[in-house]
Amino acid sequence: MTVPFLQVENLTKDFGGLRAVEDVSFTIDRNEVVGLIGPNGAGKTTLIRLLMNILKPTAGKVTLKGEDITGQKTAKIVNKGMASTFQVVKPFRHLPVAANVMVACLSPKTKRKGEWVKTVELRALDALEFCGIADLALEPASVLSHGDLKRLELARAIATEPELLLLDEPFGGLSPAETTLVAGSLRRLHKGGRFGRLHSEGPAMLIVEHKLSELMKIVDRVIVINFGKVIAIDVPGNVVKNKDVIEAYIGKGGK
Amino acid sequence: MWFRKSVLVIPGRVIALLFGITLLLFPLITADEAILRIVTFAAIFSLYAVSWDTLSGYTGQLSLGHALFFGVAAYASALLDLHFELSVWLTIPIGSCVGALIGLIVGLPALRLRGIYLGLVTLAFPIILSGIIFYFSDFTGGEAGLYGLSRLAEDKVTAYYIVIAIVMCSIFIMFKFTDAKSRILRTGLLLRAIREDEMTARASGIDTIKYKLLAFAISGFFAGIAGGLYAHYIRVAGPSTLELIFSIQVVLWAIFGGMGTIYGPVAGVFILYPLTEIIRFYPHGEEVRFILLSLILILSLLFMPEGITVWVRDKIEQECTRCKVINAATRRTCRACRAPMYLTKKENANQGKE
Repeated sequence: MTVPFLQVENLTKDFGGLRAVEDVSFTIDRNEVVGLIGPNGAGKTTLIRLLMNILKPTAGKVTLKGEDITGQKTAKIVNKGMASTFQVVKPFRHLPVAANVMVACLSPKTKRKGEWVKTVELRALDALEFCGIADLALEPASVLSHGDLKRLELARAIATEPELLLLDEPFGGLSPAETTLVAGSLRRLHKGGRFGRLHSEGPAMLIVEHKLSELMKIVDRVIVINFGKVIAIDVPGNVVKNKDVIEAYIGKGGK
Repeated sequence: MWFRKSVLVIPGRVIALLFGITLLLFPLITADEAILRIVTFAAIFSLYAVSWDTLSGYTGQLSLGHALFFGVAAYASALLDLHFELSVWLTIPIGSCVGALIGLIVGLPALRLRGIYLGLVTLAFPIILSGIIFYFSDFTGGEAGLYGLSRLAEDKVTAYYIVIAIVMCSIFIMFKFTDAKSRILRTGLLLRAIREDEMTARASGIDTIKYKLLAFAISGFFAGIAGGLYAHYIRVAGPSTLELIFSIQVVLWAIFGGMGTIYGPVAGVFILYPLTEIIRFYPHGEEVRFILLSLILILSLLFMPEGITVWVRDKIEQECTRCKVINAATRRTCRACRAPMYLTKKENANQGKE
């Protein structure tokens, strides 16, 4: 039996008396794009934060490539090949856009020999170009619009050269045109070959999103959670017909 | 030539260069020992202020008890000097290593606290240490401190040059350590990233704990060098080096000069410290000087909130809006990309018509 790329087993998180994430288990394959949807307050963001160990899980286990990463430092998890973006953008506001991304390129696995600083700069610019904000590279991050900040966030995440990318609402607050653009770059990123790891596949992705119409075009599978519990894991076509999912989103049809 | 291209075209760097040369030639200008003494102290305190700036200005770890590192190193050098009769060239480095070690210890609470709460915790450390010093007064000299330390050098001018050389080298190292555009190190960028947003830094794969502790250790080390130099220069290591006012003073100097710049704290010390010392010579100076100092600080914070050096820098330098290269404010076109830096009145008027 092959080891699943990312395996989440019985992940649980309590905030005091509130059980925000309850007994969540799923797997993600190396070349899969998975959507994570659910109504507001379902625990999607909490789940991402648990995976990155920004929040400590109450119980459960996360394994990446067969290695237990539960409770390891966030920075260490990032260096193992799992990166995430935040729902609320948190750039380094007083640093130039290029420097924002450069920080992500400075992980310990970067070789520090010869002209390495130059290489790091080029990689940062590459990531910015990929997300379409290379023209803003020298501006401080504080002057960027919300859409550009979202893209900066994405550039920062892919600059760490992840094998698994956790995206928390990448389209949140974007205009329809921007959404199409970002969705396009996500698809290209997943195909791989273009960015960073030149001779490898693109990263696997777990995308939290509310704009379902855009999301369904990208993903291979969808995980639906409600009140912290997984209620459906299926391909997009079946999920939209699933009774439990419809109930969670719209409520029971009253008689 | 790189010197002409990267130093002489930027007014700020020219001023820094001239200032450095003036310091080196200072004993030729005046032989007055009192003035030389003030400048020596200013140099030592500027190193102390820069070490505070590395920690609080760049890394954002507010330290309100920075005198701890200064005092610990002063006492460590003094004890080594008196009990083991080591030479000055050993006591100061060992003293500063003790400072760095203490920095690591103080850095541990910094991993959980931030902002003003961290400031309050660091504030407590020098008070604890002075308690210890008064308790073991047989060993530490208590109120009077440890006196009779060996001199840096026999005459004042040599001592002055020793201090200036060490201070300049140390400040240069810290400048490189915190320089975000450095070609060798990237610590400057990482420290700034930690100051801006620690969570994002961690999510970018940066081990923030390591870099925060590194900043504490480096800051402690260089504050320690300042402490060791100070103790050997005045030949006393007393509890005054751990006083609260001494911790606060460094914050005032750095904020007056400009936080988050290396030259800011240096300028702050070299302006404020001699000023307070000179006022002392005038009648009623002792009483007036703190009122005057507070007035200067309030006014400077009102009109130059980012510090005096940043205020002056913005007057004499200008960043090209296109390529972000620094230019002298007098230039009309950018020296790198030839883009116009500003429009004349005539051009401005024409632009509206087109």
